[in-house]
Amino acid sequence: MMIEKLIEILKASAADDWQITDTETEGWEFYFIAHKLDQNRVKNTDHVSLTVYKRSEDGQFIGSASAEVKQGSSEEEMKKLVDSLCERAQLVRNRNYELHAFREAEPFGNRPASVAETAADYISMMEEIRETPTEDINSHEIFVSKKDERLITSTGIDIHQAFMTSMMEAVINARDEDHEIELYRMYRSGTCDKEQITKDIYETMRCGHDRLNAKKTPNLVKCPAVFRGESALTLASYFLEKIDAALVFRGMSDWKKGEPYARDIKGDRVTLKALRYLENSPSNRVYDAEGAPVRDLTLIEDGVVREYTGNRMFSSYIGNEDSFIVTNWEVSGGTMSEEEIRCGSYLEAAEFSDFQADALTGDFFGEIRLAWYHDGNKVTPVSGGSVSGNLNELVKEMRMSREMNTQGSARVPVLIRLEGVTVTGSED
Amino acid sequence: MKAPFSEYLNGISGGLKELVSLLSEEYDYVSILAADSAGLNIRISKHAKNVSDRTMMAERGIVIRTAKNGFYSEYALNDFHPEDVKETYRKVTESFAQQYAVLQSCNAKIYETPVLSDEPLTLFVEKETEQLPETADTKELIAKLSALSEKGMSLSEYMIDCIVTGQSTHVCKMFLSKNRDMRQSYVFSEATVVPVVSKDGNTQNAYEGVSGLCGPELFDQLADHLEHAVHTAEELLSAERIEPGEYEVIASPEVSGLIAHEAFGHGVEMDMFVKNRALGAKYIDQRVGSDLVTMHEGALCAQNVTSYAFDDEGTLAGDVTEIENGILRTGICDALSAVRLGTKPTGNGKRENFEHKVYTRMTNTIFDSGNDTLEDMIASVKYGFLLEGMESGMEDPKHWGIQCIIKAGREIRAGKFTGKLFAPIIMTGYVPDLLGNITMVSKDREVFGTGGCGKGYKEWVKVADGGPYLKTKARLG
Repeated sequence: MMIEKLIEILKASAADDWQITDTETEGWEFYFIAHKLDQNRVKNTDHVSLTVYKRSEDGQFIGSASAEVKQGSSEEEMKKLVDSLCERAQLVRNRNYELHAFREAEPFGNRPASVAETAADYISMMEEIRETPTEDINSHEIFVSKKDERLITSTGIDIHQAFMTSMMEAVINARDEDHEIELYRMYRSGTCDKEQITKDIYETMRCGHDRLNAKKTPNLVKCPAVFRGESALTLASYFLEKIDAALVFRGMSDWKKGEPYARDIKGDRVTLKALRYLENSPSNRVYDAEGAPVRDLTLIEDGVVREYTGNRMFSSYIGNEDSFIVTNWEVSGGTMSEEEIRCGSYLEAAEFSDFQADALTGDFFGEIRLAWYHDGNKVTPVSGGSVSGNLNELVKEMRMSREMNTQGSARVPVLIRLEGVTVTGSED
Repeated sequence: MKAPFSEYLNGISGGLKELVSLLSEEYDYVSILAADSAGLNIRISKHAKNVSDRTMMAERGIVIRTAKNGFYSEYALNDFHPEDVKETYRKVTESFAQQYAVLQSCNAKIYETPVLSDEPLTLFVEKETEQLPETADTKELIAKLSALSEKGMSLSEYMIDCIVTGQSTHVCKMFLSKNRDMRQSYVFSEATVVPVVSKDGNTQNAYEGVSGLCGPELFDQLADHLEHAVHTAEELLSAERIEPGEYEVIASPEVSGLIAHEAFGHGVEMDMFVKNRALGAKYIDQRVGSDLVTMHEGALCAQNVTSYAFDDEGTLAGDVTEIENGILRTGICDALSAVRLGTKPTGNGKRENFEHKVYTRMTNTIFDSGNDTLEDMIASVKYGFLLEGMESGMEDPKHWGIQCIIKAGREIRAGKFTGKLFAPIIMTGYVPDLLGNITMVSKDREVFGTGGCGKGYKEWVKVADGGPYLKTKARLG
């Protein structure tokens, strides 16, 4: 009712274009300390987001202003809000572009699961984890949401999408007689991916045991480094960020269509694809946040940039009229097996405090919580110190495993290897 | 003027009190936090300008907390109708019953917790501000920030963008329970400048900001930082890579704040004590730093972005001395964790917004000043670095490891700057070593509130931190 009234008001207003996103969320949350429920939460919200656009008289500029339309707003309050947004939008002068027009897209056909069933799956899964006297679950937090989203624009888009998202944070302890350590995991998916999460929790427990016995990281200065898990995902994300239309248009990425992303690539050449659908991803959408149909699209092929992607404004500015915002994506596997990646002397980094890669500068870094230093036949678990480097150079000799795994909205190689990574030790 | 309390919240307060009464017939404890916080966010760059009402703390909604037989539950909604309280009551009780059925089917056990204190308390606070984000002259503010961005573009031949943002939030929160009626209204603002430079494929950026417990009038102060930010960005184009190792360092106030936040901010959040996730619990009254280290935490410690009158659980704001002359004295605590630990809450129970759970969170986390001058500190360094600019940090309360990503280090040799800049700097180490090696502390100190803080990788809240210049030893990479 409120939405229909808002549309009426917008049609009668000074707005040149507008977009409404109405998101209803039914969310259930469960917080556990060890295996006891700390508290349960219910979220029942309806957020209406409105963006209003105004063009200059000569048609060269467009401005936008956005706000949330509060639930229970009266007709008078909505009119006042729309008028205020029109005034604000007029003050903003960006280069003109057109909003997406409606384009039909095939729905996925599957219906969202139930919040209660998905929550029960998570709770049962964690109850069934086989703990040991030295490795167990410290705490975990379960978040399950069903979202029902309606997107309406002045350009004829009026679409409904419903989807599930779920997330679980788990803290895993390992201990010996003198010491206890913890490892942190965050899992994101559509519904509960019991098989993959359970497998990873047991693997994390094994890592915990190694962290207990870890020595101080030696001062390796420069060393090959193998990345896995979230750090491999972060490195793969760098390629997606570099072809973002906003970065390209603003001159913050010099990657050009039809050209390789680096000269003299001696390692594996990246192939990056946008995926319309990825099994149990929390980001499966038929349309993106601006109403553009999401589709499978090769963005980088064998090291050569093929397409840019991004929001409507910047895509339009670089002449990429048929673009969309990537929801799911994949960096294809490389030429080597996991076993071949793990060769010679190298540092395999399993756990970081917070591993980051900066698409603007190419710098990456992270404090090591657990790594294994492979020196010939000797393998030593190590902790402390940091790894760092610059991807602008190091991507040239990057190697990726053929084996891949799914992490949330992305499929990426299980292992990524970089040569010449700076390793700052923690030894005295 | 005083920041006026929300008319909307006043309008629904009667209905919410009725809801508290209804729910109290069924539950041992009931409280409601209602928020109606207006925001203004202006972002200007060479290529794109935006204006919206979205800031980190802009929100409108309510969250109901109940407890029954030691079992705590919450229900968050943003469509409350005071004329139909029974409908909200029905939704809340039915939803909890559905969740309870699922928990029973999974044989989940409950972490039983005593009932929270509900001592009678009435409070009404409206803090001073010059302007409000919802009524400020947006045209004038956009013009000012646009002029700043344009001036920044003109200051360097290598500039490819100069991103300027101004954000202001008028926070209005109301806490109601059977015995409490607490209402507060205050405005905080922040503004940042990020010059982006590029030369021969090398792209770098710098970052400077201002923040305060005031309205959008604060944006004017950003102009004083523009030239320095652009100069730093240019310097970063020729920065060298540091050779990994342990060095004498002087942390600038911004970096001192990052250390305070990551070291004994997160390290003494007492909800982590409940989970046995923080080493700090075992080190109360033990030495964790040199005699020169004294650190405070609390909404009353400074006038900045998180200087509220009461927290999201209706606990009055506090000022806690966490470390006194190197000895760890106490932590900070939310109300639920306090009742579990048998201690008192410190006014640090915060939510990302009404849709999120309360955790123990930081407010202002600040090292106390000392007696040294920066000049003497620099002169005392044989070989080391002055660390400037904060990028990010990560806590590790269980093991007291620390990761601080710092924008740059200025080389000091024989007590003098060499003119060389090294970037980026990754500072890692063991917190008691880092604090134990502090040998000089400057007289002046600053507080910074332009950043946000997550708990792990989520639950983002506004925080401020800072301190004086600190001289210590650290491992840099």
